[in-house]
Amino acid sequence: MSAVEPYDKDWGVGVSGMVDNPSPFPRINNMLKWLDGFTAGVDHERACLVTEVYQKFSGKPQIVKCAEALSHVLRNITLQIQPNELIVGGLAAQPKSAPVFPEFSITWMLDEIKNNPWKNRTHDVHIMSEETEKNILELGEYWVGKTVEDLIKSTSTDEEAKGTSAGKGVFFLDLYTTGGIGHVCANYEKLFKLGFGGLKKKVEEKLASVDRSLPEDIKKRNFYQAQLIVLDASIKYIKRYALLAQEMAAKEQDKVRKNELLQIADNCAWVSENPPRTFWEAIQLYNIATNIILLESNGHSITYGRFDQLFYPFYKNDIDNKTTTREFVQELIENFFIKIHQLNKIRDVGNTIIATGVRMGGTALDVGGVDKYGRDATNDLSYMVLDAHAHTRIPNPWMAARVHANTPPEFKIKLFNVIRIGTGEPKILNDEVYIPAAMNYGRSLEDARDYVGVGCVEPDAAGKEYGWHDAAYFNMAKVLELAINDGRCVGCAANCPRWEICGSVGKRLGAQTGSLADFKSFDEVLDAYDKQMEYWCDRLVSCINIMDISHQQLKPLPYLSLLIDDCIEKGVDVSAGGAKYNFSGPQGVGTGSVADGLATIKQLVFEDKKVTGAELLKAVNDNWEGHEPLYALVNSDKIHHYGNDDNYADELASFALSTYCKHVEKRPNARGGMFMPGVYSVSINVLCGLFQNASIEGRKSYEPISDCLGPVHTYAGSHDISGPTAIANSVSKLDLVRVGNGTILNWKFTPTCLTGETGRDNLISVIDGFFEKKGMQSQFNVVSRKTLLAAQANPEKYKGLLVRVAGYSAYFVELSKELQDDLIGRTELSFD
Amino acid sequence: MKSDFGIEGIVFNIQRYTIHDGPGIRTEVFLKGCPLRCKWCSNPESMKTGPEVGVYADRCIGVDKCGYCLSACPQSQDRVIFTADNKVTGIDREKCTNCNKCAESCPANALMTWGNKMTVTEVMKVILADREFYRKSGGGVTLSGGEVFLQWEFAFELLKECKENYLHTCVESALHVRTDILEKIYPYVDLVLTDIKHMNSTKHMEFTGVGNELILQNIKKTVEMNKPLVIRIPVVPEHNNCEENIRTTAEFIVNELHNRVNQVQLLPYRQLGTEKYSSLGIEYPMDDFKPVKRIVWEQNIIHLVKVMKSYGVPAVAGTTSKINL
Repeated sequence: MSAVEPYDKDWGVGVSGMVDNPSPFPRINNMLKWLDGFTAGVDHERACLVTEVYQKFSGKPQIVKCAEALSHVLRNITLQIQPNELIVGGLAAQPKSAPVFPEFSITWMLDEIKNNPWKNRTHDVHIMSEETEKNILELGEYWVGKTVEDLIKSTSTDEEAKGTSAGKGVFFLDLYTTGGIGHVCANYEKLFKLGFGGLKKKVEEKLASVDRSLPEDIKKRNFYQAQLIVLDASIKYIKRYALLAQEMAAKEQDKVRKNELLQIADNCAWVSENPPRTFWEAIQLYNIATNIILLESNGHSITYGRFDQLFYPFYKNDIDNKTTTREFVQELIENFFIKIHQLNKIRDVGNTIIATGVRMGGTALDVGGVDKYGRDATNDLSYMVLDAHAHTRIPNPWMAARVHANTPPEFKIKLFNVIRIGTGEPKILNDEVYIPAAMNYGRSLEDARDYVGVGCVEPDAAGKEYGWHDAAYFNMAKVLELAINDGRCVGCAANCPRWEICGSVGKRLGAQTGSLADFKSFDEVLDAYDKQMEYWCDRLVSCINIMDISHQQLKPLPYLSLLIDDCIEKGVDVSAGGAKYNFSGPQGVGTGSVADGLATIKQLVFEDKKVTGAELLKAVNDNWEGHEPLYALVNSDKIHHYGNDDNYADELASFALSTYCKHVEKRPNARGGMFMPGVYSVSINVLCGLFQNASIEGRKSYEPISDCLGPVHTYAGSHDISGPTAIANSVSKLDLVRVGNGTILNWKFTPTCLTGETGRDNLISVIDGFFEKKGMQSQFNVVSRKTLLAAQANPEKYKGLLVRVAGYSAYFVELSKELQDDLIGRTELSFD
Repeated sequence: MKSDFGIEGIVFNIQRYTIHDGPGIRTEVFLKGCPLRCKWCSNPESMKTGPEVGVYADRCIGVDKCGYCLSACPQSQDRVIFTADNKVTGIDREKCTNCNKCAESCPANALMTWGNKMTVTEVMKVILADREFYRKSGGGVTLSGGEVFLQWEFAFELLKECKENYLHTCVESALHVRTDILEKIYPYVDLVLTDIKHMNSTKHMEFTGVGNELILQNIKKTVEMNKPLVIRIPVVPEHNNCEENIRTTAEFIVNELHNRVNQVQLLPYRQLGTEKYSSLGIEYPMDDFKPVKRIVWEQNIIHLVKVMKSYGVPAVAGTTSKINL
C-alpha cells in the first residue's frame, strides 16, 4: 500500500470501518489501537482549578475573572504526551476524558452523580474515579445558583418555559442552556501570520490607545487586560509542552523516538510565540490553539475551518524546499485526526438524546470549494484529507467536502469513493447554494465565498463570525398540531402536569387558532398554521435572546475573542457582539411531517371529502386505535406525500418551511445581529416525537417526526416510494437559499447499488443533478448488512431501500426472504 | 388503443433511477404482455396484456375492521373475493372482470392493480421529470416489458416523443417480433438490449414456449441495421449454463454477428418474484429449483465469461461494467 493514493483508488463499497490496519503508516494503526484501549471518562482537574480562581477573585470584573480562570487552568493542568504521537495537546490528562465546566451548569451534574451515575447510562456512558466524584460534589456546592443556566432559568417566566423541554417541547434550547455556545471557527490565518507574540503586540497597542476617561473605554480596558492574561497563559501552556517533550526525550532510549520528541519540543518552543514556519509547526499550533478554545468555552462544534486552504502555503513551501515529503504530511494529517478523535465532552442525559454518541461533536473540517474570488480552490491537500479518512475510518473530524460547478472530476471520484466505503463521511456542501445563502444574511461576497461549514452544516464566515448556529431546535409538526386543535395539544387531559395552567376550561397552551372540526376551507388551515407559528416563533426568539444575554453577562470569552475579527478592533468580547457577523440560528424540524399532515387534510377533508375534520382529529386523539383503515390510508401511496416529486405535497412542504423562515429570519438578536433559520434535525426529530401524541400524517404517539429535509417514515411505512431522483426533485423545490443556517438531506443507498464504475458514476450524477437544481447539502448512508437485517425484520420501515438484484435494482423489502439472505451475504466483490 | 388524448398503452410499472438497463440514470417503462413464458421469469405480472389485481393477504388489515373491497366489488354477490381468517386471500380469476374497484378501495395495498392505461403524454410527464439526471449521467429512457413490441404502436409513439425531446432511448426486448416492426421502430432507438436464452431451438422452446429462429434472425437484423446492441445471457443452472451452450453462443456472436455487439452480459439466475406469482394465483414454474450457493454460481459465471472472452467477445459478468457505445 502506498501512502500517496491515486485519485480513483477504490476502497470497496459498504465495508465501513470494519477493517484492521486501515492506514499505510504503522504509527497511525498503532495509535488507533492504543486509543481503543481507553473508555470515555470525566476529569475534575479543570473544574477544581476554575473554582479556586472564582473563589479567590470573586470581586474582579467578570471578564478578568474568566481570564484568570483560564490562565490558572493553562498554567497548572496536567499535560500528557502520548506514545508515537507527532502532534501534542489535549483537554484533560487522559484521552477520551471530558473536562468539567461548572461555570455553565451544575445542577444536572450533581443530580446525575447522585441518582443516575454516568457509568450506568444506556448510551454515552462515562466512567469516573471516586476522587473525581468527590471533587465535583464538593465544588458543586459553591456553584449552585451561580451558573449561566441558573441565570437563564431565573430570567425566564412560564411564557418562555412552556414551549421548552421543561414544558411541552415545542422547541429545545438545552444545548446552550447547560453548555457553552461553540459553533465558531477561529481566524487561523491570522494566528498563523502573527503567532501569539504578534497578537500580544496588537492587544498591547490597543490597550495603550484606550482613552481612560470614556466609560466605554473602561470596559475595553478590562477586555484588553483579560486578553493579555490569557495570551501570556497560552504562551506558557505551549512552552510547558516543549519542556515536557524535552524531559521525555532525555529519558527516551529509542533513538528515533528521542529525535521526534526533540523536534516536538522545538516545534512547541517556537510556535509558543512565533508564527509557524513549517507544516508540522503549523499543525502543532493549530491543535493546541483550538484546544484552548475548547478549554475556555465549553462549546462543541469548534470548527477547524478550510484545512486545505489554511495549510497549502506551508505544504507547498516544505515540498518546494524539499524539507518534507508528501508521505510525511499525510502521516501528520492522520495523526491530527486521531488527536481530534480523543476529544470528549460530558452532557446531561437529556442532551445525550440530542447528540448521541458524538463525544466532542462538531469537529468540522472542510476541503474543496471556491476561493475568495470564486475560482476552484481544490489542491493536493484536499485529496490527502479524504485519503486520511479512508486511512483512519474514525468519525472525526466531521468532514465536509465543498463542491461547485467547476469542481474537478478527479476530486469527485475521490470523494465518492470515500463515501462508498460507507462510514457516512464526508458530507457534501454545495457552494452554489451556500454562497448566496450566506450573502442573503448580509455577509460580503468574499466572506461568503470563503465560508466554512460549522458543526453539522452551518455556513459561517470563518474567523469573522459568532453565529450561535445551534441556538435551538423547533418542532414545526407540534405547531401544526396546536394550529388545528385550537391551541391545545392532541390528548390534552387532566393527567398532564400543565393541566391547571393551560389545559382546563378557557385556557390553552398556544394561540387560539380554531379547530379542524370547524374549518370551512383548506385556506383556514394554512392561516391557522401561520398564526400559530408566529405565536411560537415570538417565544422562541425571546428565549434565545434571554440565553444570549445570560452568556454575555456571566461568560465572556477573552481568548476566543483574540481569534475572531473584529473583537480586538472594537474592544468588545465575542459574546457581546465583538464579531463582524452575529447570528442566532434555530433549526426548524419536521418539514416532511407538516407537508404530509397538510396534504392529508387537504385531500381527505376538503377535496375527496372522505372524512370530516372532526373524524380525523378523533383518530389522532385515539392514537389511531379503532381507525385502522384510515391509518392505513394516510400511510399509503393513495395520499399525496412529500418526497415523490409530487407538486401537490411538495408545495405544502415549501409552505411549511417558508412559514417558519418568515417568522424567524432577520429578527434582531442580543449581539446586534440577526436571527437566521436552519432546517435540520440531527437526531432531535426523535426527541420532538417523544413530546407529541399521534399526528395526522400517520404517526402514532411518541414516534419520531420526519428528519431534516427527508420524507416521512412511520411505523406503517415510508411515504417516499419513487427513488432518489424523485427525492432530489422534491427537495430542490424548496427555497433553500433562504435557510441561511443550513439544511441536511440524508441519503440511504445499499452498497450493492453503488458497486462498480457505473454505481460510482451514477451516484455522482444524481448528486450533480441535485446540486444543479439548487440542492444545498447531501450526506450518505451506504447501508450495511446490519441495516439489511433490520430491514428484513421490519420491512414496512424500509420501503424505499433500493438494492441491486440481478440485472436491475429493486426495493429490498419486496424481495423473498431467500433473496434477501443472499443480498445480505453479498461482498464488495459482487458484480450482479 | 386510441383515446381522446392519443394512443394508450398498458403500463405496469415506471421505475425511476434505473441504473442497469442501459447507460447512466434511466427511467424504465414496463409495458404489459409477453408472448414468451420463460420458466425463470421474475415478473409474472408482465405476462398477460390486460390489467390484473394482485392479492397480498399479509397486508390486509382485516375484513371486520375494513372490508371496503367487499363493498366495492360490483359482483360481491358472486363471492369473487375470497377471504379466510378475516383476511382477503384471493380472487376468483374466472369470475373477476378486472374492474379494479376493489384495489382502488383498499387502503392497505393488500389488493393492488398491475397495469394502468396511460397515454404517451402521461408517461412523458414522468420521464421528463428526470431529464437533468439523464443529461448528467448519459442516461435516458428504457422501454421494457413484458414484451415491448406486443404494444408496438404505443412504443413507437413513445419512442418518437422521447427522441423529439432529445432523450437517449433503449429498448429491452426478447425480439420475438415481426422484423418489419423492428425496421419501423429502430430509427427511434439508440440501444437494443436483448437475450440469448439458448442456442438450441428445442431447448429454447422447452424453457420459453417459443423457438429461437425468429429471435436470432432479428438479432442479426439489428446488427445489420448498425444498432448498438447489448446481449444478455441469463445463466440458469441446469438449463443453459453448460459450457457448450456458451461456446455456441460465442460462435454465433463471432460468426453471424461479426462480433458487432457492444457488450455481452452474463447474469446470474435468482429465484425472484415468487410472491408475485402467488399474489396472482399462478404456480411458480421453477418451484423445484434448488438454490445454488453464491460461491458456486459466482465462480461458474466468472468461468463462462472467460470462455466467451477467449472468442474475443466483449463479455462481462453482471451489469456494472460501462457499456462502450
